[in-house]
Amino acid sequence: MLLFPASQFSNLFSALFSHYRRHPLQLLALALMIMLATMLWTGVNHLTTQARASLGQSEQAVAARSQLERVDGQALTVADFVTLRRAGLCVMPWLEVESPGQGGRLVGVDPLAAGCFEQTGLDAVNESLEPSKKPEPAWTPMLNGEPFIDISEAAALAQNVASRNVSLSLLIVPPEPASALPADYRMTGFSLGPDTGELGDSFLLNLDALGFLVLLITALLLRSVYQLGMAQRRDSFALLQRFGVMPSAINRVLLVEILLLALLSVVPGVWLGRLLAGTVSGGFGQALDSLFDTPLYAGQSQSWLTPTATMMAIVLVVCLAQNVRALLLRTVAVWPLASLAKLLTGADAGTEFRQKPWPWLALLLAVAGLAMALLAQSLPLVFFAVALVFAATGIAAPFAIAALSATLARKTREPLARWRHTELGVMARRLALPLVALQFALAMVLAVQALVTVFEATFDEWLGQRLAADYFIEVPAGANADAAAQWLAAQPELAQSGDWHQVASGVAQLPATANDPTTANPKMDRKAQSVDLLAVGPVSPLLTMWSLQAANDQPWQGFAAGEGVMVNEQLARRYPLAVGDTLALTLANTRFELPVLAIYADYGRPAGEVLINLELLPDEFVPAFESFSISPGASDIALISDGLQRLWQVDSVRVRDNKRIRELADAVFDQTFLLTRAMTFVTLVLAAIALLIMGWVFFSIRAWYFRLLQVWGLTKRQVLAQLGQLALTLTLSITLLALPLGVWLTWVLVHRINPLAFGWSLPMAIYPGFWLQLGVVSVLIGLSITLLMRSQLGGSGPKPVSAASLRGDER
Amino acid sequence: MIKTQNWPTGFLQKAATLVLLSGAALLAGCSQEPDTGGFAGLAQAVDSGQSDSFLQPGPGDRLRFPDDWGPHPQHRIEWWYLTANLQTADGEPVGVQWTQFRQAIESRTAATTPPAAEQWPLQAAWMAHAAVSLEGEHRFAEKFARGDIGQAGAVASPLDVWLDDWRLTQQPDGALRLQVNTPEWGYDLLLRIQGEPVAHGDQGFSAKSASGEGSMYFSLVDIAISGELTRKGETQTVTGRGWFDREWSSQFLKTGQQGWDWFALHLDSGDKVMAFQLRQQDGGFLSGTWIPQSGEPVALPPEALSLTPLGFSGATPNLWRLQIPQYQVDIKLTAPAGSYINNGLFPYWESPVSVSGSHGGEGYMELTGYRGSP
Repeated sequence: MLLFPASQFSNLFSALFSHYRRHPLQLLALALMIMLATMLWTGVNHLTTQARASLGQSEQAVAARSQLERVDGQALTVADFVTLRRAGLCVMPWLEVESPGQGGRLVGVDPLAAGCFEQTGLDAVNESLEPSKKPEPAWTPMLNGEPFIDISEAAALAQNVASRNVSLSLLIVPPEPASALPADYRMTGFSLGPDTGELGDSFLLNLDALGFLVLLITALLLRSVYQLGMAQRRDSFALLQRFGVMPSAINRVLLVEILLLALLSVVPGVWLGRLLAGTVSGGFGQALDSLFDTPLYAGQSQSWLTPTATMMAIVLVVCLAQNVRALLLRTVAVWPLASLAKLLTGADAGTEFRQKPWPWLALLLAVAGLAMALLAQSLPLVFFAVALVFAATGIAAPFAIAALSATLARKTREPLARWRHTELGVMARRLALPLVALQFALAMVLAVQALVTVFEATFDEWLGQRLAADYFIEVPAGANADAAAQWLAAQPELAQSGDWHQVASGVAQLPATANDPTTANPKMDRKAQSVDLLAVGPVSPLLTMWSLQAANDQPWQGFAAGEGVMVNEQLARRYPLAVGDTLALTLANTRFELPVLAIYADYGRPAGEVLINLELLPDEFVPAFESFSISPGASDIALISDGLQRLWQVDSVRVRDNKRIRELADAVFDQTFLLTRAMTFVTLVLAAIALLIMGWVFFSIRAWYFRLLQVWGLTKRQVLAQLGQLALTLTLSITLLALPLGVWLTWVLVHRINPLAFGWSLPMAIYPGFWLQLGVVSVLIGLSITLLMRSQLGGSGPKPVSAASLRGDER
Repeated sequence: MIKTQNWPTGFLQKAATLVLLSGAALLAGCSQEPDTGGFAGLAQAVDSGQSDSFLQPGPGDRLRFPDDWGPHPQHRIEWWYLTANLQTADGEPVGVQWTQFRQAIESRTAATTPPAAEQWPLQAAWMAHAAVSLEGEHRFAEKFARGDIGQAGAVASPLDVWLDDWRLTQQPDGALRLQVNTPEWGYDLLLRIQGEPVAHGDQGFSAKSASGEGSMYFSLVDIAISGELTRKGETQTVTGRGWFDREWSSQFLKTGQQGWDWFALHLDSGDKVMAFQLRQQDGGFLSGTWIPQSGEPVALPPEALSLTPLGFSGATPNLWRLQIPQYQVDIKLTAPAGSYINNGLFPYWESPVSVSGSHGGEGYMELTGYRGSP
């Protein structure tokens, strides 16, 4: 790589590096920035990975599995387990014991029988692996929770508990082929709670998008610090060139210099990032009274190589962008692309920034980006649109501040104010990149906060709708659900203080859709003929609490009277259907034509669904699944389940405690959201530190110039007040400029990216209270810069300067 | 919030201890650290006197048939173990292993009524291993089950040993049928036993150290085998011969012993040999049985034989020299090319061997307690 002798290289290196010997603070600032940027990205990346793993595990914990039931409706026993195992099926016992006096719900499992759950499909892989490299058993996370004990202990506890509080399930890995199942058994779903499905996927996609933004922000921060240093070394370079050193030789030495610096700063940065992520997540873990005693986020161990290599690459590309730009400009001759290349690699703030095309380019990019974000029908285009808008904002924000300050400076007559405005303009230009980075960071934090809050509320409502009743009782195979409904209706205590309704689910046929081709999802099109049917009745408060997106005057009254149906959000969107439209549907060969009374929120469920009054179901309709949702009120669920058990003449009735499921789901999702918030918090803190360092370095460089204010007769206190105003105006302006970008980013994530990725949309909300908090953060940064400047002003007197410097020109 | 017993300190420890004990006790864990506290916990338990309730075999104990085919709940550990040198119709050599282990957690007499299955008792754990070796490939599977619920067990007469759908059952004509199925491969073999069981050591008591600890041990050394092997969706006919071991004890390895090297050989002369050594820092304890084609088996005392590793696959010796001067035996035992690690909870080496030197022949080799895998 080196085309000149080593001694020459060493001399040149010493000469160039002497700049840092004279200005050790600059070297420290650059190293610190690389380290901080690495720490930020590593930390955030670590947290994102953990949030992803956390969500993955929470989904796994509540996701549906398969279980076996006896066809004759009898309760399962250990004999069933043995029969099935000896028939070669992979079955695991799951003994739930509800023992209020001894600590709540316990689940007894047999770890010795769980081996085949992990072996399925992994044998071939395992064969070739060394024991130490074997993957963790897939089942393990499920068993790491506190409620799990050995099944023998659960069975011992079960002896002291009423039989209705003990239930044995047999979980199964579905056999291949399905016909291998003995005739006496059938397979049904086994679930600890509802499957989060696409809601979770969407959340993860958004995490990825935000992770990318963090990378962009770290790149900007680094670029800004490096550029600042380069600007100050321009004189040294010029001197060396006058002595005959080729610019290419200087570039090579700079490459080696930054490589060394990057290596020395990235590795501790990665270490600090991991430490930070560990501390943040560990702190939350301790604060959270988790259901699982193994912290969910602790399961991920990432390699050092990925963050180190990524950050080394980022540092090199960002810091040597000048060279990259030259290369791009050589290869891209066409003007708009060349401009884009200049823009992407960072223009020289000192000169090109003042050239006229920049505001116009920003405007052009903004218009193109906004239009594309609004109209694009594919995810890559929307992401590209986001990039355009960010680029436009990045160019426009410092320019806008500078232009505004120039205008204000022109209009004001008060000399100090005029100085302040002019100085603000200079700073906006010289601190353009860190300011843009802070703007992006603020916008991102704002979007993440809104998004997480929206997701949290949606998860909450979604759980609320599905787990509205306290308990959920399955109707066993062959049992008469209608008789049970009559029995429930005849229970006076339940009628007085409780709520219940019967649910029968199945499939309804709809005529072919007249889809809007622009929004149609071909996958959904194929399913359009057949939709899920949910028949419910009687109408209870458990139903009327559902969130309706659109409805006629008294939807539930009409529904109770059988005057119409309700459809879910997805069906309404896809068909398309509006309130008042007539829906033709066929149930078991009987055709109905009923008006749509309301459209209910369905929180991301992709399947179309029709809600119909149970009384309208034709006799020949065979439900796929029947159940009762019951909130017993003053009544006792144990008495109700005993009554139903007697009525149905079965050994046991499966009662699902929705409250417990809700607690479980809440706990695991809370943890995920806490991690996401931690991620944004870290981003904000480090962007603030970056601005603080940049601001401090920049103010320090101009300290001699600020001291002239004292020469002009201002007291130190007055100078500080001026500097304080300056710093505060700078940071507050950037916060104000971040607000629209943040709101727009939230809108894009919620209304564009999500529907394009998943075909459904979340409600969007803005949180001005949080904007205020961000304002306080920016004020604190401004004040901190002022405080740091206080010591700088106390130094030696003004040094001799050139006439240009005295005019406040940029060097 | 659900508050219950603590999983890791409660159940997991117990389950882990259970499995560790069984696995380590049986195999002295190849990948484990060399024993410092004696035989990976089992010896510790014995040393600290926790095994009072278990019976320990000793000189003078005798075999009792047919009872000894069945389980011995007063002993801590036992196994039923078949190795077979087979070949396909094309003459391709096939090695087959099947072992079922019982590990007691609580001892009880044979007369004691077992706990009710409804209690999902955990007085004993069972583990089964199965392996097939051919064409340089070694396939292994293992299963676990708790005892006393019917999922796994053993009955002496007619002989029936099972864990899930893997089972060894005695047929009405006296032959044994061994069935093993995994998602990828399986075998169904008919075992025709020739000859009487061979009692090792002192009429069945096989010493495992100079100070007298040992196990009860007998073998069926001449078994004609035929059946089917299913692999990669294809079924092949296989025939050959096998070796079946029954062994039980409450302390198998003594503190300080690291693992064993065991060999069961069919010599072309018609004679059979069983030889093993239990390794420890200062050498080891050697023992064996010479089973002539005709005549009574002869126990081989430690000084009557020598075992020398000649070649290694990683840390595991896969080439050995066995010398029994008394019978002019000086043979090399060679494992086929490849790795024959049973990669289960406790990895160990299990491979067919070919015999060369003063005698030709074939057999099986089991090596445990070597650090790392080859």
